[in-house]
Amino acid sequence: MNRLKLMERLTVPLMLFPALAIVIVLFGGGMISGVGQSVGYFPVIGLEEFTLQYYQDVLTDDGFFESLWLTFRLAFLSTLFSSVLAVAFALVLRHAFRGSRFLTFMYQIPIPIPHLVVATGIVLLVSQSGLLSRGTVALGLTETPRDFPVMVFDRPGVAIQLTFLWKEVPFIGIVVLAVLKSVGPQYEEIAQTLGANAWQRFRYVLLPLILPGILSTSIIVFAFVFANYEIPLLLGVRHPTTLPVMAFRNYQDPDLALRPQAMAISMILAVVAIALLVAYRWLARYAVDR
Amino acid sequence: MTHVLLKDLTRRFDDVIAVDNLNLEIRSGELVAFLGPSGCGKTTTLRMITGLLLPTAGDIQFDGKSVVTVPTEKRGAVMVFQKHLLFPTMNVAKNVGFGLRMAGISKQEIDRRVSEMLELVRLPGFEQRRPHELSGGQQQRIALARALIVSPKVLLLDEPLANLDANLRLEMRELIRTIQRETSTTSIFVTHDQEEAVMLADRIALMFNGVLQQFDQPQAFYQRPHSAQVAHFFRNDNLLDAVRKADHVETAAGTLEISPERVNQPDGDVVLTVRPEDVQLIPQNDTNLVQAKVLTQVYMGTYKQVQLDVLGNTWLAHGPVDFDPEIGATIPIQLPKAHIWLLPHPNGKS
Repeated sequence: MNRLKLMERLTVPLMLFPALAIVIVLFGGGMISGVGQSVGYFPVIGLEEFTLQYYQDVLTDDGFFESLWLTFRLAFLSTLFSSVLAVAFALVLRHAFRGSRFLTFMYQIPIPIPHLVVATGIVLLVSQSGLLSRGTVALGLTETPRDFPVMVFDRPGVAIQLTFLWKEVPFIGIVVLAVLKSVGPQYEEIAQTLGANAWQRFRYVLLPLILPGILSTSIIVFAFVFANYEIPLLLGVRHPTTLPVMAFRNYQDPDLALRPQAMAISMILAVVAIALLVAYRWLARYAVDR
Repeated sequence: MTHVLLKDLTRRFDDVIAVDNLNLEIRSGELVAFLGPSGCGKTTTLRMITGLLLPTAGDIQFDGKSVVTVPTEKRGAVMVFQKHLLFPTMNVAKNVGFGLRMAGISKQEIDRRVSEMLELVRLPGFEQRRPHELSGGQQQRIALARALIVSPKVLLLDEPLANLDANLRLEMRELIRTIQRETSTTSIFVTHDQEEAVMLADRIALMFNGVLQQFDQPQAFYQRPHSAQVAHFFRNDNLLDAVRKADHVETAAGTLEISPERVNQPDGDVVLTVRPEDVQLIPQNDTNLVQAKVLTQVYMGTYKQVQLDVLGNTWLAHGPVDFDPEIGATIPIQLPKAHIWLLPHPNGKS
């Protein structure tokens, strides 16, 4: 091989190197040390022998599957509701009407606001001493604030769901809206002249067109919610809690011996998340192409 | 086979009247062109026929029944757009079978009719192709098949040949014509290209600014235009003020004989016109001669196009390729009696 060809082949890897190095060192390093700790390599506290004990501990813990289910439920419902609402909003906002630009602007406001701020806002709104509760009392709908349904620090995690919805609906919606606007109305018009009713036009024409947008954003939302610890930590009950919160508590514990368990939980979380995302992608494609 | 009637059809957008009191009767199985410059209301009319747009006033009837309140999906007026032809997420078979699928027809029946349709548009065996694998002309044909498979009452084509190159246009034109005859589907297509309209349509509806100018067979637009604007759109700007007096007209260039049975303007002020290809640059005899000054001459391959000054009006005339007048010379040209057509005078006093 002459030198020119060699240079050509090396150009792309060389150009990518600075970015790749950061990713490999920071992400890969963290991963390796995490995996290492989860299988018993943690020299700081004198652990150096390979073991799957921590995985066994975690998986046989009574609360583990309850937490896994809660984590999955939260992520699944948040993704489902966010996607459905986002598509619904996008379908309305793609039309130009009086005030549609202002509405679209308002719709995007949640995107830059941090989750923690949203969580605080949701507490002020829906807790039993919150605005809504006082409003229902003022309107005579409830007698005392305590009659207002519990939505914060509750087992179903209503406030957690609301926080995620408020944040993620615009995130998915903005992508779907962009796709819808670039697609234009013509495909639907063709379908309509060919006899497709409103539902058929959505199901067979629009949905396949916006599906890639929904898929890629909802996968991000799912992965994010699945691994999020601060919202369930702030707004959820102490037990059962989600896997990320469980891992976080173990990690933060002054007892360093709990660290490998935290890592084992994180690894399981990652594997389950990846498996679910692959399944989700496959299922969604299959359902729409049918 | 549907008879289409547009009755006082009007569409306003805020203050703009896009289509103004349009009256048109399209016979069953006819292929009609809506012709006009962009913004003349032809696409708006098409959309009103499909039901995608509601008329502000007036009526649309299929076979004598008003369809204005019938929703688009039940109307049976199928539209083929010029862009965004095929559903990008479906293969050819799914695209073509779309209408049948929406109607709940069985898969076997759909498969059978899809392959029939692909035969009709001469793309057999294309079922599994994806739209992006097809050329522009092939996409156009698949779009046509997708429209025809539902046996539409009316087939509407929006600039069907606009995105195709010259060879494909020719091929596609023949195909549309053949299929339209074979299926006898009442069809309307929109175009701004007068040649396309002339070559494809049984009759042409020429529209300017939302107003129907003339609805006629193609040759009528050349031989018997209703106005100077219509003549202009069909590339005839040879105009000369005249006063009709029974079997002759008086012009500043002298008295010219006309065929009273051919022209339809009454006696009085008129505008005389002769198409460029009918002007005789080499007079055959002494009748109807007019003096003209040669301004330019351009070799056009099969003829010579000569620009003339006829009493202050700029005229065009076609001559034989070996015709070689001197620029600036004044020559006699002949306006054959059989080719003189009279237009209403713009002052309205005709």
